[in-house]
Amino acid sequence: MSVPAIRLERRARVELGDFPVDAAWSADGRALLVAGGEGWLLWIAIADTAAGAQRLGTHAGGALAVAWQNGGQQFASSGQDGEVRLWDARTREARVIHSDSTWSERLAWSANGRLLAVATGRALQVFGSDGVLRTPLPEQSGVIAAIAWRGKSSELASVGNGGAQLHRLEPELLSREYAWQGACLTASWSPDGRVLASGMQDGSVHFWNVAAGTQSQMRGYGAKVALTSWSANSRLLATAADELIIVWDFSGRGPEGSEPLQLGAHTARLTQLSFQPKGSLLAAGGRDHRLTLWRTAQPQQPVDADMYTDEVALLRWSNDGTQLAVADRSGALNLYSLRA
Amino acid sequence: MNKRVPVTVLTGFLGSGKTTLLNRILSEQHGKRIAVIENEFGEVAVDHELVIGAQEEIFETANGCICCTVRGDLIRVLNQLRKRRDRFDYVLIETTGLADPGPVAQTFFVDEDLREEFQLDAIVALVDAAHIAGQLASVPTAADQIGFADVLLLNKIDLVSEAQLARTERELRAINGTARIVRSHMAELPLAQVLDLGAFDLDRALAVDAAFLQPQQPFEWAGSYTLAAGQHVVHTGSQPHEHGHDHDHEHHHDHAHDHDHAAGLKEVGVVVLQASEPGMAGIELLVPAAAAAFAQASDRLSSGAKLETGRHQRLQLGAHADFQLQIPAAGNWVLFCEHAPAEFGFSLPRAQLTGEGEYGSHHHESEITSIGIEDARPLNAEKVNEWLSYLLQSRGQDILRMKGVLNFRGEQRRYVFHGVHMIFDGQLERPWGDAARLNRLVFIGRKLDRAELEAGFESCIA
Repeated sequence: MSVPAIRLERRARVELGDFPVDAAWSADGRALLVAGGEGWLLWIAIADTAAGAQRLGTHAGGALAVAWQNGGQQFASSGQDGEVRLWDARTREARVIHSDSTWSERLAWSANGRLLAVATGRALQVFGSDGVLRTPLPEQSGVIAAIAWRGKSSELASVGNGGAQLHRLEPELLSREYAWQGACLTASWSPDGRVLASGMQDGSVHFWNVAAGTQSQMRGYGAKVALTSWSANSRLLATAADELIIVWDFSGRGPEGSEPLQLGAHTARLTQLSFQPKGSLLAAGGRDHRLTLWRTAQPQQPVDADMYTDEVALLRWSNDGTQLAVADRSGALNLYSLRA
Repeated sequence: MNKRVPVTVLTGFLGSGKTTLLNRILSEQHGKRIAVIENEFGEVAVDHELVIGAQEEIFETANGCICCTVRGDLIRVLNQLRKRRDRFDYVLIETTGLADPGPVAQTFFVDEDLREEFQLDAIVALVDAAHIAGQLASVPTAADQIGFADVLLLNKIDLVSEAQLARTERELRAINGTARIVRSHMAELPLAQVLDLGAFDLDRALAVDAAFLQPQQPFEWAGSYTLAAGQHVVHTGSQPHEHGHDHDHEHHHDHAHDHDHAAGLKEVGVVVLQASEPGMAGIELLVPAAAAAFAQASDRLSSGAKLETGRHQRLQLGAHADFQLQIPAAGNWVLFCEHAPAEFGFSLPRAQLTGEGEYGSHHHESEITSIGIEDARPLNAEKVNEWLSYLLQSRGQDILRMKGVLNFRGEQRRYVFHGVHMIFDGQLERPWGDAARLNRLVFIGRKLDRAELEAGFESCIA
């Protein structure tokens, strides 16, 4: 079977002038929001061949997270000033919906764009799209490391030291504990909502097959597993702790007892790893200043690559999977399209 | 790769002066831009934009390995900070008094992100001179904090007598034989004593205090007196009230502890020997004989009893207990005491003290001690590797810190290593050159066995 060659086409380049901390594509893929380490929020309008950046505002001390409302016209930002702001994308004006001495490090919109989850230290809050606080969730036992909505449902997973919690918000709040000794760093739901995967500080990946009521873990990583990403078809989970990409196959009876796929092209630890939404490509960036694009069916070498002058610090696919935004630590941001 | 940002960890109990020191460091003109990570109860008063709060969170692993235990909050906060690296060039971490320094130190070796960006410079423990004895007796983590430290900042020295300071220093020294002890009042001291010490740098010379490397004596103190023949009265039991002028109301609960501790001595071993000359010189000549006498069986003496020369006797202490010292001939007589005089209210009226010597404390409350080995014989590198690997696997939980410079046979360069629990780092460094090729190793830890460590070292001789 011959596979058409796919290449990254660099369409525009923007100098952010700041360390990129987080970024989010607009729902329609025509704008990219970037949160900067010095606090700036940058709005990058995407034209066919060029991109212009506009500063929207700052979070004093540094921005932490930015998240675009799925299918909507709003986005949320948080920063080291302790604030969470809800922005109207049309007027580009914001209001503060939460303020605390503790940082709100994680923001996540539900699939239907109606709920915004905010993790602040041990506290987990859910706001409506009107910015009004909904049902308060119970205080977590540890600081929340990551949050993720389960598929298209209104169930929210939060992970941290000591395992995961799953909060069903409708019709009434129901929280379930999934305890596991160890510090969870990431929360990745398979897109079909069956399996919650979490990269761990102790160099393992833990899986909760919530649908089946089982759990398992994969050990043997040489370092903490800070990167986990599912393929769109929920078959593959890409993970990385060092310079090697480890891909677990969940088809059949796997991944227990199976040999994972190993994708090796980077020469330093990976910093970014993300499967293409609505596709099968996998993009990775590392401390070796390299960006690589993979087809897991061709694990021998990447299908394309690009070089940066500093470690790759940011990598975000647009929602439709046709555009890719990548930035390095010095603030050089490239926008790519996929060309067959 | 960018130069890594140095990190100093400040430990110490509430009231030891951490906040005072932090405020002083932040307000002083030193040309450094310092980011401060405070514990959640901290209160830095200075208006400073890079002060960040952190809630202590320990990450343990499913396999329970102690060296994988790290501070999750520090990883999180420092990962955010590293994105603003051009804003600061130094990091200070303040821990709560109860925090275990182990995970704090290990975080900088275990976590990949931090290891690449930050370098642990030193662990500085603030010690409240007036209260440390009580804290050591009542709080298990107090000894851990002392044992882990590179610098022991003995603070609030104006609140205690010189005698108590000396006793406290001996006690600290017994737990941690390598830390530099710095005395201060209101945490006033040159910042060079606290910052940029490079205590974890392998390429800096290993500074080991030679004193604790000496064998331990069964006595803590010896005093030489010029005495006439006949009977002399030895007073004991009037407990020193050194805290009378301490008006630090915050710590009244600790006060009681201190007195209990001082009053806890029920008896003290004593040996009186005749010296050939006055002063220290005479004492030193008698040390082997005194040690031999202490090893002999002893008699217990109650208040009023006769204290004879030449043999080991144990004075039973009370509120006021006096003993009749029988001196057979006029001359220089040395009293070797199991404890320092201040600890049991010792005095010998109308006698001239011509010299005194202090020997390491040996009755500390803590099970944490330092053991040093100094030996010139060349070692077999492979055997050292085997021994240290075994030691880390079998005793890593108990070993807080270890450091050393080793003389490998046939190797022109010195091998330098250090470790925190089971984390080990070692490499060949500068050539020996004209320096004496001397192995020096130090272990600080819980329930260390000198014989076991010496046997292990012996097995490495090439």
